[in-house]
Amino acid sequence: MSTASGTVTPNASTPPILHGVGSAALPSVAPSRSKEPRDGNTSLGTFGVKSGLAQMLKGGVIMDVINAEQARIAEEAGACAVMALERVPADIRADGGVARMSDPAMIKKIVHAVTIPVMAKVRIGHFVEAQILQAVGVDYIDESEVLTPADEQHHINKHAFKVPFVCGCRNLGEALRRISEGAAFIRTKGEAGTGNVVEAVRHERAVMSDIRKASAMNEEELYAFAKDIGAPFHLLKETARLKRLPVVNFAAGGIATPADAALMMQLGCDGVFVGSGIFKSGDPAKRARAIVQAVTHYNNPKILADISCDLGEAMVGLTIDKDIKGGRMASRGW
Amino acid sequence: MSNGHAGRNVVIGILALQGAFAEHQAMLQKISSCKCKIVITLVRTVDDLAKCDALVIPGGESTTIALLARLAGLLEPLRDFLKRKPVWGTCAGAILLAQSVENTKKGGQELLGGMSIAIARNGWGSQVESFEVPLEVEGLREPERPFTGIFIRAPVVLSLDPSPSDPPLQVIARLSPHCLPQAVAQDLSDEDPTDPRDPRTVVALRQGLHLLTTFHPELTKDNRFHDYFVHQCVLPTLD
Repeated sequence: MSTASGTVTPNASTPPILHGVGSAALPSVAPSRSKEPRDGNTSLGTFGVKSGLAQMLKGGVIMDVINAEQARIAEEAGACAVMALERVPADIRADGGVARMSDPAMIKKIVHAVTIPVMAKVRIGHFVEAQILQAVGVDYIDESEVLTPADEQHHINKHAFKVPFVCGCRNLGEALRRISEGAAFIRTKGEAGTGNVVEAVRHERAVMSDIRKASAMNEEELYAFAKDIGAPFHLLKETARLKRLPVVNFAAGGIATPADAALMMQLGCDGVFVGSGIFKSGDPAKRARAIVQAVTHYNNPKILADISCDLGEAMVGLTIDKDIKGGRMASRGW
Repeated sequence: MSNGHAGRNVVIGILALQGAFAEHQAMLQKISSCKCKIVITLVRTVDDLAKCDALVIPGGESTTIALLARLAGLLEPLRDFLKRKPVWGTCAGAILLAQSVENTKKGGQELLGGMSIAIARNGWGSQVESFEVPLEVEGLREPERPFTGIFIRAPVVLSLDPSPSDPPLQVIARLSPHCLPQAVAQDLSDEDPTDPRDPRTVVALRQGLHLLTTFHPELTKDNRFHDYFVHQCVLPTLD
């Protein structure tokens, strides 16, 4: 596999590019249909195609679904992708216990039910769950704080996979650490399963504010700032130059209404994840479609007013304090 | 060269319902012409579309873009636009421009039509099959330099079926037959998979005013395809 991608990706050419199929440390776990290389000239799983899929999802809504029926409702409502998981975050909070990767059989059913990309979650640091999901053939992996972490010190080395990864962040330093590990797509952590957008707003504002600060800095100041926020210097410098994250940035964690989605878009996100907010509401199909429209027309209050009418009951929201059931998920990972 | 367009603006719209429209915008903003000023605009409503002389339909999810177009009342205005003005579809945009499509969501999905081809969505399978490959493209500036084709869950052209009254189809880039998805190759095993005229190897083509690419020139730093669309498809229609 050649690494031709370094010269063609518009916004993420700096991270070192390794390929799952060629790296020595991990077994090759590519799906069977790609056993034979097509041509000496093609490159599979480059950072360009990983971040490129995230670019195709922009302006869209990625919805949590727990079975094929929900996945079809999401597809009909205009979701640009679905996240397959056994329990939505609100139920993970309520049930307690250890939350793990979903049953691959359930994920395969969802893959067969829809034509849009299917994502699935692995525990932070659980690279074997990631190998399994790559073998299943999911389109994106979310290394997610919503599941119980498998490793409190290390995140997955995501360069070693052909399948791309999305990771959560609370601030710019955390986002750039994840990109440095190979994440091709970043989302805010927010506080999943609460229906309360306050943490997603906090995290997105923190990221955007630090980007604005960095873009006004000279090189010496950037070195010091990189040290302060624990970010790799070259990624911070690239972010300062672009005046945005070098990969796609979605909002996640607590989005429950079209207005929440449009708020996150106006704060500078490229799209949104909606977890419990759809299938824990009174009329999931209608609410899902309204949130899809809100992300497209986020700057048009008249359209937002029209689509926000008569959506039925929103999910019951939670106040986020130290006693919240299921704890603060956003504090998992570093 | 005539100078008849001096002072006139040409407005190129980018359908901005969902997908990689900002990338097309950034690429098109770098294109200049001595003939006229090029103005780039994002299209989300019927009023936005009415201002345009040409349109780019970006990559994204074709099901999402089609639904949002219907909810915004844009489907018929877009079909009408296609009869009169140049349109370029990339990836999801290419699917929307096709006459018929396979691997649709259950119950089928809406298309705009406009080009006489049949296409299959997600021709290569899931994201782990997405790839980059150098392409030889006919008619680009500096033709000796290959163009990097970025194929992301890309569609495959299944057949070229122009009726006698349609404008001719002109293939401008093909993949090597070895790059074809194995699943497709097996489905049609009676055909010679190395046939250089195999429609499934077609990745860029023109018909009449329109341009179609199954890959993503907007994800590269190479603006030759955007330059080609503006100079070969858009500007000649202003005469």
